Amino acid sequence: MKIGVPRALLYYYYFPFWESFFNNLGCELVVSDKTSEVLINRGIKNSVSEICVPIKVYIGHVFNLLDKGVDYIYVPRFISIKKNITFCPKFLGLPDMIRNSLQGVEGKILSNYIEARSDDISNYKNYLGFMDKLGVSRSTLKNAAKKARKVWLNFREKSRQGLFIDQILNDRIITGASNNEITIGVVGYVYNVYDQFISMDFIDRLREMKVNVLTFEMLETKKIEEQVGKFAKKMFWEFTNKLLGAGYHFIHSPQVDGIIHITAFGCGPDSILGPFLDTEAEAFNKPLMRLRIDEQTGESHLITRIEAFTDMIRAKKEEEEGGSFR
Amino acid sequence: MKITFPHMGSPLIYTKLFELLGHEVIVPPKPTQKTINLGVKYSPEFACFPLKVLLGTYLEAIEMGADTIVSSGGNGPCRAGYYGEVHQRLIRNMGLDIDFIIFDELKRDYKGFINKLKKLKGQHSWFDLYKIVKTAYKMAVSTDKVKKFIEHKRPYISDKKKLNKVKLAIEDQYREIKTEQDIVRVEEYAFKILKGLDIEEKTGAEKLKIGIVGEIYVVMESGINFNLAELLNDFGVEVEMSHYISEWIQENLIPFVSHEKEIMKKAEDYIETIIGGHAKQNVGHIVDYKERGFDGIVHLKPFGCLPELVTQSILDKISDDLDLPILSLSIDEQMATANVMTRIEAFIDMIKQKKYKRSSDHERHVFGY
Repeated sequence: MKIGVPRALLYYYYFPFWESFFNNLGCELVVSDKTSEVLINRGIKNSVSEICVPIKVYIGHVFNLLDKGVDYIYVPRFISIKKNITFCPKFLGLPDMIRNSLQGVEGKILSNYIEARSDDISNYKNYLGFMDKLGVSRSTLKNAAKKARKVWLNFREKSRQGLFIDQILNDRIITGASNNEITIGVVGYVYNVYDQFISMDFIDRLREMKVNVLTFEMLETKKIEEQVGKFAKKMFWEFTNKLLGAGYHFIHSPQVDGIIHITAFGCGPDSILGPFLDTEAEAFNKPLMRLRIDEQTGESHLITRIEAFTDMIRAKKEEEEGGSFR
Repeated sequence: MKITFPHMGSPLIYTKLFELLGHEVIVPPKPTQKTINLGVKYSPEFACFPLKVLLGTYLEAIEMGADTIVSSGGNGPCRAGYYGEVHQRLIRNMGLDIDFIIFDELKRDYKGFINKLKKLKGQHSWFDLYKIVKTAYKMAVSTDKVKKFIEHKRPYISDKKKLNKVKLAIEDQYREIKTEQDIVRVEEYAFKILKGLDIEEKTGAEKLKIGIVGEIYVVMESGINFNLAELLNDFGVEVEMSHYISEWIQENLIPFVSHEKEIMKKAEDYIETIIGGHAKQNVGHIVDYKERGFDGIVHLKPFGCLPELVTQSILDKISDDLDLPILSLSIDEQMATANVMTRIEAFIDMIKQKKYKRSSDHERHVFGY
């Protein structure tokens, strides 16, 4: 059985789990191609114009998998991985959207509800529906979930050691020195930061500019939750809270010189997160830049902005450090 | 305390509620272009449209002297449940010292909820509070009954000027209400004068019915939806909306009572689970309107609205499956009246033709010509 996994959305957070899990269920895993202009254009054509870019990208990947002739495309319905916190409505309705708006997917969607108490989504009960559809026994399911969990925890550990997700997924060797002059905390969802087409490799570009980069998944969960805990009412969306916590941590951390909030056009949760980051960064005098990416962003514009931002931070740092003995 | 609140639909109910509790009420102005501009100016660019208009409304009310804003919270995952937090932050950042009383679900913060009620009830006893809330709720039910009647009959009333006068007279009467008994009397009065109007109802293929579904704020607030219900009425179309304030109260504030379950069930083929806002209810309403013989649906959503975008994605499928025309309109600060008018007019022409064709096909079939 060939199972297709779109290289989009939570692929960048859960792929190691899915890979191990489906392989252990005896399925062949097919991943869609990397995002390209052709691929994204199919997504754009087949989605409503106002929907956020990551969803358009996802739809492009679904079509790409249809071309590859898979038996099923795995489209999970992520409900919650923390008590009282859910995912953005577009995640909740994703299988409905895919099922009811795309031609040719009928009968090809493999979906399930993901409800967990933590990031760990390995509870086999979430996958019981697969028994019939994939013809596997309960014990196989249980076993596969257990093995996949280990693989995934290992992946998360690598993130916390400071590796970038795309490096781990692609076994890429880190380029650039790690002891750079300035450090920037990048606040962004994995599917925006690590989709090389969408983000135009901006992390690599930062590193080329001799910048240390930190992202939310490199932080200990405790550090993120410490910050989020300060809010009487948490934001409703799982990964937005992670970004909120990470953003606040970066703002307060003396090791971080500046923050880049990378957000996709049409992202609803980010429109709420934005003002919270802005006011906090302003109060603590930490430079913050927002990069809004969409399907049409030009590369030169991105580079210019990143260059200007890092130059500004360098100048600020020099002045501050110089000021102390002047 | 000088209390104000969001303007959504008729402000009559909230005004009455806070008046009966003995507060000074600053009735928020109906949203206009000025409100929108003000809101847009101080809101994040990609915030949803209702957040912007409500911010504008608050700022206008603050200018009129309001010092306390009362609103409801929510659990998400739609952004509306977080408006309170964002509005507070934006308004405080502007250096305005305004008190926010935001009612979240009881179970989220039981003690806080009671404290907020205490603050609002002032010297009144808990029993008084109960009676006053009940009166306001009954008034919402009653005014909605009148509203629904007008939305059904308005297309058939030729003397629109007289109807508008009657409407104002009815509103004045509601404004004077003190007790539940008064409501019964005013409602009787309202229906008596409404039924006294010249109403020439259409039948058969001439009769057109459109259901309005969508995000609750843009559906209920005529100030920003181009007065859609009346606009459709003026084209000779009966309308019904998926949201009325009394129903919102029933679903959200009265425990154990829910009429939405049945409606939600009808949506299950398209949206399996609750995804926030009223997306699932709206799809259910579309199916329900079809079953009840409606001729078309207008779907309203604020630009970029998270749950309604999921709905919009599957509208084509629903429309095909049900053989029901659906017009989806996205509302934001850049929407122009002429655009809406043109699209509405074309939509109505289309469903008229569709209906005419169907009925003449039917006649041909029955009479054999």
